[in-house]
Amino acid sequence: MADLANTGSLQIRDVSKMFGTFRAVDGVTLDIERGEFLTLLGPSGSGKTTLLMMIAGFLDITQGDIALDGASIADVPAEKRNFGMVFQGYALFPHMSVRDNIGYALSVRKRSASEIKARVDEMLDLVQLQEFADRKPTQLSGGQQQRVALARALCFAPPVLLLDEPLGALDKKLRVEVQEQLKDIHRRVGTTFIYVTHDQEEALSMSDRIVIMRDGAIEQVGTPVELYERPATKFAASFLGKSNFITQGDKTYALRPEKIDLRLGQGGSDARVSGTIRSITYFGSMQRIIVDSVQGDEIEVDIDVWRNQEALTEGAKVDLLWQEAAAVELHDT
Amino acid sequence: MQDKQFMKEMLTDGAHAYKEGRMDRRTFLALCGASGVALSAVMAGDAEAAADHVVMWNWGGQSEECHGSAIGDAFTASTGKGLKFDTSGPLEGKIKEMVDSGNVTADVADADLFNAVSLGPTGHLEPIDYSVVSKDKTLPGYALEYGVSVILYGYAFVYDTEAYGDNPPQNWADFFDTAKFPGMRSLYKWANGSLEAALMADGVAGDALYPLDMDRALAKIKSIKEDSLYWGSGSEAHSMCVNGEVTMGMIWQNRGRNIENDTDGRFKLVNNQAMAMPGAYIVPKGNPAGAAVMQFIATAQEVPAQLALLDCLGMTPSNPAAFGEIPEDQQDYAITSAKNIDKIVYNDPEWWGENGGDAVNAFLEAIS
Amino acid sequence: MHALRKHIHPGWLIIAPLLVLVVALYLGPILNILWLSVTDPEPGFGNYAKLGESDALLRILWTTVRICIITTMFSVTLGYSIAYAMVHCHQRQKNYMLTLLLVSFWISILVRTFSWLMLLGRKGLVNVTLEDIGLIAEPIAFMRNEFGVLIGMIHYMIPYAVLPLLVSMQALDKRVMDASSNLGATGAQTFWRIYLPLTTPGLVASTLLVFILSLGFYVTPAVLGGGKVLMVAEYISVQLLVTLKWGTAAMLAALMLFGVLAMLWIMSRFMKLSTVFGGAAR
Ligand SMILES: Nc1ncnc2c1ncn2[C@@H]1O[C@H](COP(=O)(O)OP(=O)(O)OP(=O)(O)O)[C@@H](O)[C@H]1O
Ligand SMILES: [Mg+2]
Repeated sequence: MADLANTGSLQIRDVSKMFGTFRAVDGVTLDIERGEFLTLLGPSGSGKTTLLMMIAGFLDITQGDIALDGASIADVPAEKRNFGMVFQGYALFPHMSVRDNIGYALSVRKRSASEIKARVDEMLDLVQLQEFADRKPTQLSGGQQQRVALARALCFAPPVLLLDEPLGALDKKLRVEVQEQLKDIHRRVGTTFIYVTHDQEEALSMSDRIVIMRDGAIEQVGTPVELYERPATKFAASFLGKSNFITQGDKTYALRPEKIDLRLGQGGSDARVSGTIRSITYFGSMQRIIVDSVQGDEIEVDIDVWRNQEALTEGAKVDLLWQEAAAVELHDT
Repeated sequence: MQDKQFMKEMLTDGAHAYKEGRMDRRTFLALCGASGVALSAVMAGDAEAAADHVVMWNWGGQSEECHGSAIGDAFTASTGKGLKFDTSGPLEGKIKEMVDSGNVTADVADADLFNAVSLGPTGHLEPIDYSVVSKDKTLPGYALEYGVSVILYGYAFVYDTEAYGDNPPQNWADFFDTAKFPGMRSLYKWANGSLEAALMADGVAGDALYPLDMDRALAKIKSIKEDSLYWGSGSEAHSMCVNGEVTMGMIWQNRGRNIENDTDGRFKLVNNQAMAMPGAYIVPKGNPAGAAVMQFIATAQEVPAQLALLDCLGMTPSNPAAFGEIPEDQQDYAITSAKNIDKIVYNDPEWWGENGGDAVNAFLEAIS
Repeated sequence: MHALRKHIHPGWLIIAPLLVLVVALYLGPILNILWLSVTDPEPGFGNYAKLGESDALLRILWTTVRICIITTMFSVTLGYSIAYAMVHCHQRQKNYMLTLLLVSFWISILVRTFSWLMLLGRKGLVNVTLEDIGLIAEPIAFMRNEFGVLIGMIHYMIPYAVLPLLVSMQALDKRVMDASSNLGATGAQTFWRIYLPLTTPGLVASTLLVFILSLGFYVTPAVLGGGKVLMVAEYISVQLLVTLKWGTAAMLAALMLFGVLAMLWIMSRFMKLSTVFGGAAR
């Protein structure tokens, strides 16, 4: 895996994909650094898979160019790109054992049996599936299948690994577990990961950078903190986390519910808005309070459960407070 | 029950009207569809009513029309009974099956006389009532206990005049001589006629054929196997000639005229050494119309019926009284005409009835 | 009673009457044939002994098996490529092809058989054309021999071969093939190592279907073989209808039945038959 040290950066230049007259990917430009964990996040149909398929070489690029370490790969066929891929639904070979699945990439490259065995064992260790080596994929659980798919894709040490909703089929608890393993593996192999998901928590917790996609185009790119703290658009603000939108003059601001404080009684000098509690919803770790402001806006406030437990009731008059910097000015009109 | 009876009568009438052309096919099918009855059920089902008609079991096609006009009309005129048809082809196995099953729906089968020899003694046939049917109105030896020959057909051959020109083949010896007469031949696949032709070609006299020397016959058949095709039906024999697949073809003599016409005279029929085959009427045991069928058979023996069958089907009369009445334009084709009767040989139904099964198998094994 | 109920799923009771009917309707005739084969014309195994005595019977059986094997090989191979093309072409072309395929099912076997005579007979279109342009002096004997029978049978069988293959190819997950090429496999490697193994159940189903249907072929060999290609089905029919040797016919029918059963049994040693007949592949 040493040769990965200086390969694996991708340059995507104004790439578009048309299906007939429908523009599935629309002028995407993106630089991905070697070893980066980059997440494509967006609602269903926003073009994540299509973009990934163009990177992998399964779909032709209608317009634009994709380069690996500066050299265009637009005309390189899929099987020559050497990109690993974990498919939506895994696409394991059902008639082969786990071992043969993982060793497939080396075996089609005509590597020696001993080399294949050694490498597959290494991979089995990595994904902790040693004792399942001789099973068929259908005899594995969803999480185990997912790990086989990952090991299969990493076995030939690809410079770039593409993952299309790899955890989509897993339940919540298992997903969190596998997320950790994935991150860990990423750290250890140093491959560039391009990761597709529409789960925002997953995106936030795992990525170095997140690309928010909307209707085939990039809405915003940034680290999780950047995107969460400084969303540029209403769409970005509401797709990644929750947000209140407050209009002042001709400007719109995004304001995260957890950044608002709430105080019983109205008319405090430091209050930014006053209103009436419409509803309180209990979520275990916090409670969500909806306030109707006197200006007629509906504002969501998340506060810790242990505060003001009995005094907060529906219909109570309250003041809302937040720090200046908490309200982020949005740039879309 | 009343309704059903009505429906059935309506359909039966419809079936007759349809057959006679008074009702078009679509209307008739719609009628059947409306009452949820399959066409075959009507056609076959009404055969059971019996008594007021006889059911003839034949091979369909032209023969249905011809049997109707040549025999049926006269039979109806004299007895008041109608004639209906089952056109599924009375092969020996089917007759046996019908009688064994106890559901006999046919009165008379248009079969071969050797069928009477093999099926009669096993109890599958009614004996012929010779107080109604006449032994004199057929050739001697062709009025047997369980069947009587009503017509003759024959195994003759046609040849391609363009292939052989000035020196045409004249007998079975020529037919089997591929050195002198190169080209493909066609023979009958179910042995009958083919075996006799082979023996005659090998020098056996026409009146000394039986019992057939199987080994000798098969050896002769095999000697031209490379140059032979074998047909199983009249239309196949016909198309092998017309499509130029063979230059000489054994055929059923009654097809000869059609082949000459369809090839604009390029093919020519040779009746020399033609083998007369007694086509016979036989009666399945327990036939629904009972004794009335004998009257039908007797009608078929009459000279007018015999000549009408010749005219309509090309089947040669077997009643000697009709031989002299064969019209001029049929003289070349009818094997019992004055022109041909001295050149032909006669099939022995007794031998075929007793040995036919083994002979057919031996023949099939030899040619395949 | 209680113990019994534990072992028999109540569902069986519901379908029991139907099951009895099916068994009676299928098993009855089969038993009848077996019975006939050891009782007609006289009790004993005389009919089966004929197999040892007559090399003609063995020759007929061998002809049948040989023709069926060749027919199956070609129909399934051609059917495989047709099914492959159908699955991988555009939807509209696929609809055309499917229509053509289904239409061929509706054309009677007689018509299809005789069409070959018109096309490839001595005076058929092909021979006449070749003679006219001077490529050949004598017509080529395509028809009225075993070669002709094979052409006719393969042609008739291809649609039957295509259908099971089509079903199994359509059920494949395209992403599995993508995964293979993503992992660096060439088109040929993907075909041999992934596509073919995954369509094997369809291939086996198609092979079985074509082979078993071919065994019963009658019209095509009779017409296109010029009388010289005698297959078991026709021979059985002659024994039933013409020579009245029902015992021989029953013996041959029983033999074919056992042959097919033996084939299924051998196959079941190598693969789960349920996957062939539509069960999930495992
Ligand atoms: N082969 C195709 N032909 C036509 N349109 C397509 C094709 N593939 C995808 N699309 C369209 O392109 C758009 C983007 O699809 P894509 O599969 O990239 O979405 P996605 O972001 O991966 O969605 P999801 O989260 O549901 O997987 C969708 O509107 C889809 O309908
Ligand atoms: Mg997708």
